Amino acid sequence: MQQFIGGKKKEIHLCQDCSIKIEMPISFENIFQGFLNSIQSMQTNRPAKPPAAPCARCGMTHEQFKSKGKLGCEDCYQAFAKEVEALFKNVQGSTHHTGKFPRRMGVDIRTRREADDLRRQLKEAVEAENYEEAARLRDTLRILETPRSKTGTNEEMQRTFPDEQQGFEGNTSMNREVPHE
Amino acid sequence: MNNPWFTQPGTDEGPVLSSRIRLARNLRKYPFHQKLNASAAAGMVAEISGAVPSDFYKLDMQSLSEAEQKVFLEKHIVSPEFLRWDLPRGLMISNDQNVSVMLNEEDHVRIQSVRPGDALADALATANAVDDAIEATLEYAFHTEYGFLTACPTNTGTGLRASYMIHLPCLERTDKFKTLLPAISKFGITLRGIYGEGTESMGGIYQISNQTTLGKTEEEIIQVLQNMTRKVIEHEGHAREKMLTTHRADQENIIYRAYGVLAYSRKITTKEAMDLLSEVRLGYLYGLLDRPRPTKTIYQIMMEIQPGHLQRTAGREMDETERDYARAQYLREIFV
Ligand SMILES: [Zn+2]
Ligand SMILES: [Zn+2]
Repeated sequence: MQQFIGGKKKEIHLCQDCSIKIEMPISFENIFQGFLNSIQSMQTNRPAKPPAAPCARCGMTHEQFKSKGKLGCEDCYQAFAKEVEALFKNVQGSTHHTGKFPRRMGVDIRTRREADDLRRQLKEAVEAENYEEAARLRDTLRILETPRSKTGTNEEMQRTFPDEQQGFEGNTSMNREVPHE
Repeated sequence: MNNPWFTQPGTDEGPVLSSRIRLARNLRKYPFHQKLNASAAAGMVAEISGAVPSDFYKLDMQSLSEAEQKVFLEKHIVSPEFLRWDLPRGLMISNDQNVSVMLNEEDHVRIQSVRPGDALADALATANAVDDAIEATLEYAFHTEYGFLTACPTNTGTGLRASYMIHLPCLERTDKFKTLLPAISKFGITLRGIYGEGTESMGGIYQISNQTTLGKTEEEIIQVLQNMTRKVIEHEGHAREKMLTTHRADQENIIYRAYGVLAYSRKITTKEAMDLLSEVRLGYLYGLLDRPRPTKTIYQIMMEIQPGHLQRTAGREMDETERDYARAQYLREIFV
């Protein structure tokens, strides 16, 4: 991990007499911007390679991404995959999410990920003529690929939020007093 | 039902005032804010409002007065960026004001949960429940390798910003304080003043938070932040003990004079009032001030002397001078 240069701050004054100034530590943004610039110069040194095409979904261009450092849609993560990954490695220190998975898709994705791993191991085991191991892996894979029963997260979620997903129509103004302190 | 965090005694019991969790999420269906047009934004805001648990109030930002908007800003419920943004936005807020959701900030969904004192895990659990409720009906932009996809790649992964609000009245006066920032930033942690300029925050109030969001679980991020915060608070403790052994009488004098000014002044700026409240808080916390505690927490008072709060209480716009008089009057009613 690299130097987050502490101490340097960029202030945003909300208005001249407002006492609250939200300070943005600029170090992080600077590293980020500096990094994008270095990628850019790397690429200009290699003229043979055309710049990446704009994101097909939202139209975000390489230039726009570099100048603002913001992505335009989820597909931008694919369109600018190389830059994004390099940035993750340098700024975040990792490219691999280990935290929360969306509950609804979480189980499926985890299963798919595990199944991919198992299939790869299975292929290796077969190639190595390790048939005992291959049989074990095949069994595990079969269990994993059996459609899962309705136990678990969905029901849990229903218990936590039973049918509360309606009715905000009238609630659109301050007249519905938010109780103040 | 809980009371708002800043009214709870837990916010006045030590250096840690509050624990805050923010989760950033986007819907798969819509482009991120840079590529979002007004009609898509309106549709997106409506869809998400329908998915947030129904005991949240929905506020239409455009219909709020400037003072009301400022009050939310001073409470850290909305960000300045959110107030400047001109596309349709929404704010959902729980009855006790401890949980809120900004719709169409930099990300489509910004869930925020605050608890008094040191309670990041509780705050995370609350934010997660709202997150799960939204996700039960709407599909988030999520990548199996990168995690939750956000408009800015500095939030990708967990989308989590965990922070403590801490009071460092003794440490901030020492030389050690300046060496602290680079030290903690090596761990991806940052410290900043939240009611003031530079590192010399008003009222000795600081926010300490994680900078990196990818590669660690939510629990690990919280753990690192907690460890670093404990270190910082240890230093505050050392600075306090040193100050009290060498300059106790001086410090008591400062605290009682602060109390006197808060109780009797006729006109006072935000900056001066914040710094005096900081002294008084120190006095109450460590038995240096033998006066009855106000019924409000010190942080609630700090918030209510801010311009937006004063104007809302008065029910009208006030210029700076008028506010300085109103602020002194408000403080007299609390401390005399
Ligand atoms: Zn202002
Ligand atoms: Zn895109």
